[in-house]
Amino acid sequence: MDNFMSLSIAAKSCNEAFARSVVAAFATPLNPTVDEINDIKTAVSEAVTNCIVHAYSKDESGIICIDARLDGNTIHIAISDKGVGIEDIIKARQPFYTTKGGDDERSGLGFTVMETFMDSLTVAPNGDKGVVVTMSKAINTEN
Amino acid sequence: MKIVHKTVGTTLYVGLCGELDESTSVTTRAALDKLIEDFSATKFVVDMSALKFMDSTGIGVLLGRYKKLKAKGASLFIASPTPTVDKLLTLSGIYDIMPKIV
Repeated sequence: MDNFMSLSIAAKSCNEAFARSVVAAFATPLNPTVDEINDIKTAVSEAVTNCIVHAYSKDESGIICIDARLDGNTIHIAISDKGVGIEDIIKARQPFYTTKGGDDERSGLGFTVMETFMDSLTVAPNGDKGVVVTMSKAINTEN
Repeated sequence: MKIVHKTVGTTLYVGLCGELDESTSVTTRAALDKLIEDFSATKFVVDMSALKFMDSTGIGVLLGRYKKLKAKGASLFIASPTPTVDKLLTLSGIYDIMPKIV
């Protein structure tokens, strides 16, 4: 099963549910279990939230790009922004690390959740501005 | 997000119905804070059986409420999370401070 999709959305929190639902729907030809779909939805939601909260600091004029590709039984997802970027990616990926303190009540678990719920995760600069998060998950072929 | 509640003795039961992410976190946080202010419950139980989706934004919301309740001498418990939400809560280690009850 080979296929791809590409989606651009405004960096608005009301688009989170839409984004994760679109990617989940795109994955359905792989016949994922409910648990696998929920893992994908959660990981996408974390990445999109990072774009909204951190990359664009809730500036809703920002644009988030979501690309997904089906390759055999695996879904590959890339979520990118053109925001402020991440100063120290290694530190940002540590559990409970957050740059947003105080009233923001961030758990600092976004990347940890993506890493745990997907098979692979990479976080890299997006050219000269922003960040691109890529993650993959193989869907059990015995489903 | 729909939030329902009922009081039994000194326990306040709060049911979360819907999805808890960045878009619903502000209203959810405000609604829970109002309940914490309005009721003098010593035990605060969040029923998650109707919470269809939650990401780590929800963990932050729970931790914030835990701190407020702890300051009032009250405790927080999680009831009946769905398997997906339970997986996230377990990963976070949050059950160490707000135990899961059936």
